[in-house]
Amino acid sequence: MSRGNIFLATLLWSVIALLVLYPISILLVESFKIAETDSWGINNYLEFFQEAFYLKTFGNTLLLSALVLLTTTLFGVPLAYILARYRHWGKTVFTALILLPIVLPAFAGVFAFIIFFGKYGTLNLLLLDSGLIKTPINFIYGLHGLVFIQSLHMLPFIVLGLSAGFTNIDPSFEEAAEVEGASGLWRFLTVTLPLCTPTYLAGAAIVFLWPFTDWLTPLILGQVDFLPSIAYINIAYHFTDVHRKYMGIVAVMVSSIVCITLFLLARWWVERKKYTGLSKGTTAEGRVIEPNPLVKLGGYLYMLFIAVLVLLIPIVLGLSAFSRRWVFEPFPTYWTLENFRLILLESPGLIQNSFVFSGVALLFGIAFGLPAAYLIVRTRVPGKDALDFVITLMLAFPGIAVGVSYLLAFWKDIPLATHWIIMPLALFARRLPYFLRMAHSSYLQLDISLEEASEVSGAGKLRTFMNISLPLLVKGVLVGVVMFFIMAFQEITTAIFLYRGGWETLPIGIFLNWHRGMEFGIAAAMAFLMIVITFILLLIISRIAGGILKAAWGPGGGT
Amino acid sequence: MAFIEIQNLFKRFKNVVAVNHIQLDVIEGEILTLLGPSGCGKTTTLRCIAGLEKPEEGNIVIDGKPMLSDGFVPPSKRGIGMVFQNYAVWPHMKVFSNIAYGLKLQGIPRRSIQERAQQVLELVGLNGLEERYPAQLSGGQQQRVALARALVRNPKVLLLDEPLSNLDAKLREKMRFEIKSLVRRMGITSVYVTHDQAEAMVISDRIAIMDSGNVVQIGTPHEIYEKPANRFVADFIGTMNFMPGEVVRVLQDTDTVYVRTEFSEKLQSKTPDVTATTPGKKVHASIRPEDVEVFTEPPQARENLFKGTIVHKAYLGNFLYFFVDVGGTMIRVQVPYHLPQEEGQELYLFLDPQKCMILF
Repeated sequence: MSRGNIFLATLLWSVIALLVLYPISILLVESFKIAETDSWGINNYLEFFQEAFYLKTFGNTLLLSALVLLTTTLFGVPLAYILARYRHWGKTVFTALILLPIVLPAFAGVFAFIIFFGKYGTLNLLLLDSGLIKTPINFIYGLHGLVFIQSLHMLPFIVLGLSAGFTNIDPSFEEAAEVEGASGLWRFLTVTLPLCTPTYLAGAAIVFLWPFTDWLTPLILGQVDFLPSIAYINIAYHFTDVHRKYMGIVAVMVSSIVCITLFLLARWWVERKKYTGLSKGTTAEGRVIEPNPLVKLGGYLYMLFIAVLVLLIPIVLGLSAFSRRWVFEPFPTYWTLENFRLILLESPGLIQNSFVFSGVALLFGIAFGLPAAYLIVRTRVPGKDALDFVITLMLAFPGIAVGVSYLLAFWKDIPLATHWIIMPLALFARRLPYFLRMAHSSYLQLDISLEEASEVSGAGKLRTFMNISLPLLVKGVLVGVVMFFIMAFQEITTAIFLYRGGWETLPIGIFLNWHRGMEFGIAAAMAFLMIVITFILLLIISRIAGGILKAAWGPGGGT
Repeated sequence: MAFIEIQNLFKRFKNVVAVNHIQLDVIEGEILTLLGPSGCGKTTTLRCIAGLEKPEEGNIVIDGKPMLSDGFVPPSKRGIGMVFQNYAVWPHMKVFSNIAYGLKLQGIPRRSIQERAQQVLELVGLNGLEERYPAQLSGGQQQRVALARALVRNPKVLLLDEPLSNLDAKLREKMRFEIKSLVRRMGITSVYVTHDQAEAMVISDRIAIMDSGNVVQIGTPHEIYEKPANRFVADFIGTMNFMPGEVVRVLQDTDTVYVRTEFSEKLQSKTPDVTATTPGKKVHASIRPEDVEVFTEPPQARENLFKGTIVHKAYLGNFLYFFVDVGGTMIRVQVPYHLPQEEGQELYLFLDPQKCMILF
């Protein structure tokens, strides 16, 4: 066992201990504290599970998750099928559009849809003006609106995974079923879909977890009876009521436990069954079907429908960003660049902070992620699998859990939170699993005999890494790098708990603007700016990775 | 003079013993092949020689220097060249850079590197291709790059891990001879790993047959084929007829035994070890299909002459192959000429006692 490797493992574990294990344990400990006393107990948890109020929020969140999963599945499966199986014009464009919701900040959708679908939003005003309706229709203020907005945001996770799955299935599996007499739909349900279970489940887990961490969307829509929103309100606004703070922490803990359990369940389920055979794989395009013209037209219309919904977000935000006082009119009447002037001149710090924090987080990510990938893939140090597991588990933690735990953990004894470094650290902790996965699958693709041949030729381990491994990893890793940056850039669920005056990022700025009831236009302008920056970054990676799909999922394909 | 000594090598992966305390010497300048079925430990042994695997026990000595007992010597310091099964040619470097890689590390001046690279490219027949990337080469060409890269440093030892298994049959056949003559010319001590026995027969000076982590027999191709040590070796190399039975009589001075089989009371056979052969012992009498003499009319009476019925007949171009039922036992026969007999007809088989051998 190489000493260098053991040292590396210890180093990585210490980082994880500090940035993950320690805060989470503090969070856990705090949840058992009883307000106004110095004692401990499970009182808070008892209260949580006995009070109708908390039970209701818990139930609501579960319901929301289930509905969002159902919606994304129902809408996502046909879309994935169309993308994967039909040869059609503009495939790349549509695929890129479907990818859009991932890289748009989560709240971008909420704002855009409030403007468009709100009580006096564009759609309602148009309908009222044309006399089709007498009173505004409530499109989004309610559970249905929440489901709609969150489903649209999470749709790519189902669609991209499934369409990659459909593309990669060895056609002979389906052909065998056809020969046995199975009709198209039956084949799809009994052969195609089950074979895609791993990719589906991976996406489904992420989708189901989302409502447990998205405290922002319900809040903006005025729907507060959801677990993450309650947690946020309790913690951020507890003022002197310490008990409320503890209840908020309990809410966070319960969310986290639900998320982790489901995550592990999905993983266990996928590992239990075998989904590969001796198949020799397939062509890059996969099996392509030519459906009858009517079905094909239907497919096009459906894709168009989804694309329009997605495009609404940047378009509406764009219109709002370049206008002022867009109220009670279906479309803006007054165009101006004033919003941008305000942002760029009066608060350039926002943009600077966003870039600096994301950049520093990225450096941490690379410095940690590459050695970690090397350790997990290439060595047999004991504890490396546990390291992999813990880092992957970080994916399951709701953003609020990270934010709150950091707030509690790094206040007194290890006062990291008093320095701006806490912002990049939190971003790093949240997004590390994504980067590690990219680095991991890149490393897996790197044939070990390439490194062994280098060693045999006389090169030591470090030289081999620099001359052989790194150049071959760069492409895959670069994609992970940019994705990491994009996601760190739009991070808010965690950052909102840790920022102090002067540390605001663009997303925080947007939230504060909305919260203080300022001009919607300014918030929209910031959101639009974020969209533009993110889009440019995405273009860069798709250039490097040679395709949008590969850009989203890394060289490993699937999830 | 043993150039490579493998002493009591033991390697385990979790619960599976891959190499089970083997002892092996490789003579200077020879090509020794480790031959055996998948999982027999041949690749693991090779990788231990290279230093890519660390055995739990044992020592490996190369050119007098211990690789394990005096502290672990890493692969980069063993002075070996290795050709990997999938070539491991670095895709991001041109052919020239691939070959020059190890030389650069030794600090050899540029002019010298150029010369030597050109020489070895010439040797493997790739001159003119040094500016290409591996992706622009065929499988056979990539394999030669791997070979050139291994040879250019004039290593003391050349290790080849199934280098031909990814090539198509015709190319494989051609490359066997090329590799052999190349290595011979340079006089490098080589250890070759393969599961293809025909390849082993062509390339090797000596073959070490391995099974389940053990070396079962070492010898020249001739020795292994003519005098297999046991049933496993006999079955692995070429084809062999096995006729199970019991020893009924031993003739000490002629190393001959009589065996009772399903179809004969006294099948006359040779024994490799007359002292170990006792009446009552259960053995397999064996004979190669090409050593069975075939008669269409009953010949002059003699020992070991049997009548049988043809069950299958196969025409393979350069010879005929018969499955003949002799008293319930199926005997395979290879005949280098044409016979009109068809399935269901009779043949007379003479199992020459000199060519018949018992195996334990």
